[in-house]
Amino acid sequence: MDAFMEVLQRPDFTKNFFVHIELSLAAVLLAILLSLPLAIAVNRSDLGSTVAINTGNIGRAVPSLAILVLMLPIFGLSFTTALVALTLLAIPPILINAVVGLRQVSRQVLDAAKGMGLSGRQILTGIQIPIAAPIIFAGIRTSAVQVVASATLATFIGAGGLGDYIVEGYQRNSTPIALAGALSVALLAVVTELVFGRLESGFTPKGLKIAQQRRGK
Amino acid sequence: MKNKTMLIRAVTVLLVAALVSVVAACGGGSSGSSDSGSGKSVTVSSKKFTEQILLGEMYAQAFENAGYDVKRKLNLGSEQVMDKSLKDGTIDVYPEYTGTAFVAILKKDPKTAPDTEKETYDIVSKFYENRKDTPMKMLTPAPFDDNYGIVVRTSLAKKLGLKTLDDLADKSGQLVFSSYSEFQNRSDGYPNMQKNYPKLDFKEIKVVNDLGIRYKALAENKADVAIGFTTDGQLASPKLTVLKDTKAIWPFYYPAPVTTQKFLKKNPDAEKILNEVSASLDAKEMRKLNGEVDLEQKDPEDVAKQHLEDAGILD
Repeated sequence: MDAFMEVLQRPDFTKNFFVHIELSLAAVLLAILLSLPLAIAVNRSDLGSTVAINTGNIGRAVPSLAILVLMLPIFGLSFTTALVALTLLAIPPILINAVVGLRQVSRQVLDAAKGMGLSGRQILTGIQIPIAAPIIFAGIRTSAVQVVASATLATFIGAGGLGDYIVEGYQRNSTPIALAGALSVALLAVVTELVFGRLESGFTPKGLKIAQQRRGK
Repeated sequence: MKNKTMLIRAVTVLLVAALVSVVAACGGGSSGSSDSGSGKSVTVSSKKFTEQILLGEMYAQAFENAGYDVKRKLNLGSEQVMDKSLKDGTIDVYPEYTGTAFVAILKKDPKTAPDTEKETYDIVSKFYENRKDTPMKMLTPAPFDDNYGIVVRTSLAKKLGLKTLDDLADKSGQLVFSSYSEFQNRSDGYPNMQKNYPKLDFKEIKVVNDLGIRYKALAENKADVAIGFTTDGQLASPKLTVLKDTKAIWPFYYPAPVTTQKFLKKNPDAEKILNEVSASLDAKEMRKLNGEVDLEQKDPEDVAKQHLEDAGILD
């Protein structure tokens, strides 16, 4: 317990705590900025969507540590290196959900919209995106939680974060030190889950919510 | 319907088969260590990092060569786990470092560690021999020190004239040091360095918790100084230089087989077998062997075998 408190009171703990949040937030935002336009771009092409989904899946298979090592010669031992690796990690869930979400909007709805004389752009912004919003946000939520947990990897590249304490605890065979890091990460992950869950339901269109409730009953 | 019945049958058969094999494996594994009746037998163990696994593998192969029935429990745990296993007879021998035994087994303050390797060994080996519950013995150590190593690029060392940690301290204001969490926070780590070399004050310290990446960063000019260990495989390269710790601020970490006296009494030739292995090694050779496993991804078993063959221990 003493060692646990000692870690929480270290001057670098607060710093690493915020580095962890900063790193995760930046990675998720960057991933959103990269994935959403891409998903919209491939929206109408079957081939494009297949390529995007499969690239996303391959991206999932590349170990983050390998990305860190590959980025080292370019960005050095820095925040940027960790950010690049985490962004690559954050992209697949967002990209896949966005592509699938936009494409699962039913054919009839789209035809009806076209029949009513809506332009392609109006269909996208007025119909596809609102209907896909819950799925897109679910992707962002998955990605955010994953990134908060994986930001611990930054410790291997000299970018700090809460991983420092988990690894220190392991190296020194001290459970309290590792716990101080691990519990903080877990706490952040839970908070992230809650916040993004709220956002998800906030962005779900009213009509869809009513439909969901009816189906539920 | 018929398909379903067949599926259920197939799954049942598979499950039973799996269960049987698991039980068989457990039964085979739990038959205990060195007391199994006729013939000489030994259980060799090691901690879980490359050098330990290599040393354990060498002991094991040397024993096999001498006609022992060898059981391997390599890649086990920390020194506390190893020591306990030795006491309760789960294992018969494992490699331990003199300095680690001094700090972790004898529970002494590293600051009180003696100034010579021989004195360290004498204190530790006397402790092992006089243990009340299970008298043990630390055999002759291999002639090399697996210690903290402060590493710089050889080109930089030449340019700045760095040979010792004193030189490093003088120039530290312009250098980036890449270290790891444990070293920065342990009293015998960085605080100890700063106390003994007071001029030490790096331009920047990067906490990089992966040994391989620390070496890579050093090679890529992303850091100037890194902390590693003196027997790391990467140090076989002439491009890297270990600076001399003139004040000997760390205990000496010479690896030696630790075993129980009961085992030695039962197997009088064991001491000679183990000593031969230790004597066949030195720092340069150990770096080479560690490098073959860590950097070239060779199998520790093959690397150990090759070394023992070259040294003329295996026939």
